[in-house]
Amino acid sequence: MSDTSTTTDLVLDVKGLEGGYGQIQVLHGLDFHVADGEIVVILGANGAGKTTTLRAVSGMIPRTGSVKLRGEDISNAKAPDLVRKGVAHVPQGRGTLPELSVEDNLRVGAYIRDDNEVDADIDKWFGVYPVLGERKNQRAGSLSGGEQQMLAVSRALMSRPSLLLLDEPSLGLAPIIVAELFERFAEINKETGTTMLVVEQNAQLALGIGDRGYVLESGEIFTEGPADDLINDDAIRKAYLGV
Amino acid sequence: MELFLNRISDGLSNGATYALIAMALVMIFKATTLINFAQGEFAMFGGFIALVLATEQGIPMWGAVFGSMVITAVCAAGIERTLIRPFDPSDHLPLVIITLGLFLGINALAGIIWRFDPRAFPELFPSGNALTYGTATLSWYTVGTLVTIAVVSGGLTLLLNKTKIGLAFRAVSSNLESSELVGIKVGPTLQFGWAIAAAVGTLGVCVFVASPFRQLEPNVMVTGLIFAVSAAALGGLDSLGGAIVGGLAIGLVQSIAVPYLGVPSELSLLAAVAVLMLVLLFKPSGLFGTPQVERV
Amino acid sequence: MATSSPKFVFIQGTGGYRAYKFLGFAVLALLILIVAFAYNDTGSITLFDNDYKLSVTRVTKSISFMVAILGLQVVAGFTGQLSLGQGFFFGTGAYISAWLVADQNWAWFTSLLVVVPVCFLFGLLFGIPALRIKGLYLALVTLGLAAIFPSLIKLDVLLPYTGGAAGKQVDSDFIPPSWLPLDAIVDALHKIPLVGQYFGEGEGLSSKEEQRVWTFFLMTILAIICFKMVSNLIKSRPGRAIRAVRDNETSAAVNGMSLAFNKVMSFGVASALGGVGGMIYVAELGIASEGDFTQLISILFVVGMVVGGVGTLSGAVVGGLVIAFIPDWASSTQNLPLVPERWLQGPTGGLILGLGLIVVTFVLPGGVISGVRKIRDRIIQVIPQTPELGIPAGGVALQAGSTEGIEASTDGDAMSASTTADDG
Repeated sequence: MSDTSTTTDLVLDVKGLEGGYGQIQVLHGLDFHVADGEIVVILGANGAGKTTTLRAVSGMIPRTGSVKLRGEDISNAKAPDLVRKGVAHVPQGRGTLPELSVEDNLRVGAYIRDDNEVDADIDKWFGVYPVLGERKNQRAGSLSGGEQQMLAVSRALMSRPSLLLLDEPSLGLAPIIVAELFERFAEINKETGTTMLVVEQNAQLALGIGDRGYVLESGEIFTEGPADDLINDDAIRKAYLGV
Repeated sequence: MELFLNRISDGLSNGATYALIAMALVMIFKATTLINFAQGEFAMFGGFIALVLATEQGIPMWGAVFGSMVITAVCAAGIERTLIRPFDPSDHLPLVIITLGLFLGINALAGIIWRFDPRAFPELFPSGNALTYGTATLSWYTVGTLVTIAVVSGGLTLLLNKTKIGLAFRAVSSNLESSELVGIKVGPTLQFGWAIAAAVGTLGVCVFVASPFRQLEPNVMVTGLIFAVSAAALGGLDSLGGAIVGGLAIGLVQSIAVPYLGVPSELSLLAAVAVLMLVLLFKPSGLFGTPQVERV
Repeated sequence: MATSSPKFVFIQGTGGYRAYKFLGFAVLALLILIVAFAYNDTGSITLFDNDYKLSVTRVTKSISFMVAILGLQVVAGFTGQLSLGQGFFFGTGAYISAWLVADQNWAWFTSLLVVVPVCFLFGLLFGIPALRIKGLYLALVTLGLAAIFPSLIKLDVLLPYTGGAAGKQVDSDFIPPSWLPLDAIVDALHKIPLVGQYFGEGEGLSSKEEQRVWTFFLMTILAIICFKMVSNLIKSRPGRAIRAVRDNETSAAVNGMSLAFNKVMSFGVASALGGVGGMIYVAELGIASEGDFTQLISILFVVGMVVGGVGTLSGAVVGGLVIAFIPDWASSTQNLPLVPERWLQGPTGGLILGLGLIVVTFVLPGGVISGVRKIRDRIIQVIPQTPELGIPAGGVALQAGSTEGIEASTDGDAMSASTTADDG
C-alpha cells in the first residue's frame, strides 16, 4: 500500500479491520495507526464500536483485516499470545480478578515474565498508587471502582508492554478520580514511553492527554486528526462534548 | 459415651474420603463451573491401579498409591485435552453428557478388567488404635485419614498460592477473559486442574478402601459420588476448605444420624441427598462458597 | 444443508403427500407385525459363534424405555431442564402398578389411573423447586433423587407395599382374547415363501407365546398413544410456547409467556410418562426390584435420549431400542475374531454405551435421528403449506437443522427443527 518505509516505527498499524459478534458485524473496515510513544484516542458515542475495536485488535473476537504490530502481522494472533508480543489490554470494566488479592493481581500481570524483577515492579506500582500498597492483601473485589482501575492499569503494565490498550477507563468512576487517573496515564507515557491506545467516551479528558484521535461512528472512522484540532473542532464539540 | 466417641471416629474417617473426593470435584468446578460426574469413577480406577501396582508389581503400598496418583493425573490430563477442551466451556450440556459417558464407560471398563468381586486393599496406616478410653478407641486409621486430609489440604494450598501454575489456576477460576489477557493459556491450566483433581480423588479412594472394614470393587464410588457431591455443595462448590468441612460433616451425619435418630442405614444416603437439595435450593453457594454469579 | 435436488418432493396437503404419509404408517405397521411374530422367543441369530436372541419380550422391555425416554425428551429436550432422575419416576410407576395388580387385583391398564396422576403430581412437586435450580445444579439434584430411590423402596414403612429388597412379584399375565386369531396369523406368515421360516414352526403359538405377542401389541398401542399425545402437545399453543422457552428463555419471558407454569407442567408430563414406562416394564418383567431402579437406569435414559436425538420423538424410539438391546447383545457376544475372550466378559454393554455416548456427542450431536434425517432430506423434501392461503409456500423447503424453530414440523415427530450443538 502506501509508504511502507515508515510502518516499522508504527507500533500498531491497522487496515481494513472488520469484526463483530456472530451475525452482527460491528466494524466496517477501519484504518488507523499508533506511532511509537504516542497516546492515540478513539472516541465515539455508545455503540459506535469503540470497545469492539480494541477487542478486535486484541484477538478476543473474530476479525478480518490487517493488524500489524511493529511490522509483524498479528491478524491471526489470539489474546494470550499478544501479551507475549508486548500488547497489554485493560478491558472494559477493569477485569480485575476479584477473588485474588491485590498483590496477586499484580503478580499475575507479570505472568509471561520470567525475570527476577517482578517483586521490584510490584513495589514500584505500590509507589505510584499508594492505596494499592495499603490494600495489597485484600481481595481485589473489595476495592472501589477507582482503585480497581488503578489495579487494572498497573497489572497491565506489569508485563512491561510496549503498547497499552485502555478500554473506557473512565466508565463508572467519579470525575475527580478519573481526572487523576488520566494525569497518571500521561505521566506513565512520558516516563516510560509506553505507547497507548485509549478508547473513551469522555472526549475532553481523553483528548487532553492524547496526541491524536479518531472519532468512530457506526463502525467507521468519521474523522481523525491531532488532538488539539479535534478539541477545537466545532462539530466534534457539539456532538461529543455537548458544547 | 464411648460408643458416641467411636461413632465420631468412624464419621470422621468416612468424612475424610468424602472430603477428598469433594476436593477433587471442587478443583474442577472452580475452574470451569462443571461437575465431573465421572470423578468417582476416575478415583475408583485409580484405586485399582494402586492395587495392581502393589500386588502385581510388588511396589510398597504408599509408593503404589503415589504411582497411581501420577498415572491417573496423566490420564485425566489426556481426557481433558481430547474430550473436554474441544467444547465451548460455557455450554454445559455436551460436557455433562461426556462426563456421564465417562462414568458409564470407566465403571464398565473396571468391571471388565477386574470383575466385581470385592478385593481387600492393603492397609495404608498402622493397624490398631492410637488411643483408648474405656471401650472407645481412636484407630490409627482414623488418625491417618485426618492426617491425609491435612497434608493434601496443605499441599494444595502451597500449590495454588505459591506456584506460578497455581496462580494461573486461581486466575482462570476468577476471571477467564482477564487471564487470557495476561497471557495465561487456559487449556493447559485447566488440564492441570483435572490432573490434580484426579490425583486427589485417587488418594481419596485408596484411603477409603484401606480400612479393614472395606474392600475395593468397581461400584464402590457409585453412591460415594453422591456423598461427595453433597459434601462439596454443603461446603460451597468453589471452596476447597469448604469441601473438607462438608465432607467431615456429611461423614458425621452419616455415623451419628444413623444410629441415634433411629434412622435405618438406608437413610444415610437419603440424609445426604436431603442436605444436597436443601443447600442447592436455599443457599447454592453453600457454607463457604462465593455467592454464585451466573458465570458467562 | 443444501438439498441438492431431492428425488421426491411432496407438497403438504396434496394427495401425493398423503400417500407418502400413508406409506410411512404402513411400513411402521408392517414392522410391528414382523417384530411381534418373528422369532417369538425361540429364535436367535448367530454371528461369529455368538447367539443373539431376538425376542418379543425384549422389544416390549424396550418399549417401556421408549416411553420413559419420551418423558425425558419432554423435560430435557423440550424445556432444556436436564433431569438425571427419570429413573425415579420410572420406578415409582413400576412399584405402584406392581402393588395395585399384585395386592389389589387391579388390571394393569387400570393401574394407570393411579400411576399417571400420582407420577404427574410428584413431577409437579419436583418441578416447583426445580424452578429455582438451574442447569448443572438441577442435574446434581436429580441425580440425587435417582440415587435414593432404592433406599426409599427399602424403607421399613413401605415394606408391605414394595417387598423391600426382595422385590415385588406380580403374577398377572395378559391373556389375549380368544377371538384374536393369533394362531392363524402366525401360520399364514409361516407359509410365506423364503421368509416364512422365521415365523415360528407352523404349529401355531403356545399360550405363553400368545401372551407375549398380546402384551407386545397392547404396549405398542399404549406407547403409540403416549407418543401421539406428546406430539399433539408440541404442536399446540402451550407446546410452541414451551419450545420458545427452550430456544430463548429471555425473549420468551419478555413475550409474557408463563415460563414457570410451562416448566413445571413439563416436569409433570415427563414424570407421568416415566411412570407409564415403569408400568410397562414391570408388566413385562413380572417383578419390581429396587436394583433395577438406581442412578444407572436414569443415566441410561439420558444415554438413550442423546444417542437417539435430543428433542425428537423418534429419537426416543431409537434410544429405547439402544439401551434395551445393546447391553443384551454385548453380553451375548462371547466370541469375536481377534479379541481375546477375557475382554468380552463383564459389562461390555456399559462400555459400549459410555463410549457411544461420547462418540455421538462429538460426531453426531443431534443423535442417530439427525443423521437419518440428513440422509432422508437428500431424497425427500416436504414443502409446508402456508396456513392462511392454503397454497404451498413455493420453494421454501423445510430443512433439517434449520433454526426456524417455532413452526410445527411436517412429520410431526420433531420437537424443534434445531436440536443441540451443531458442531460438537
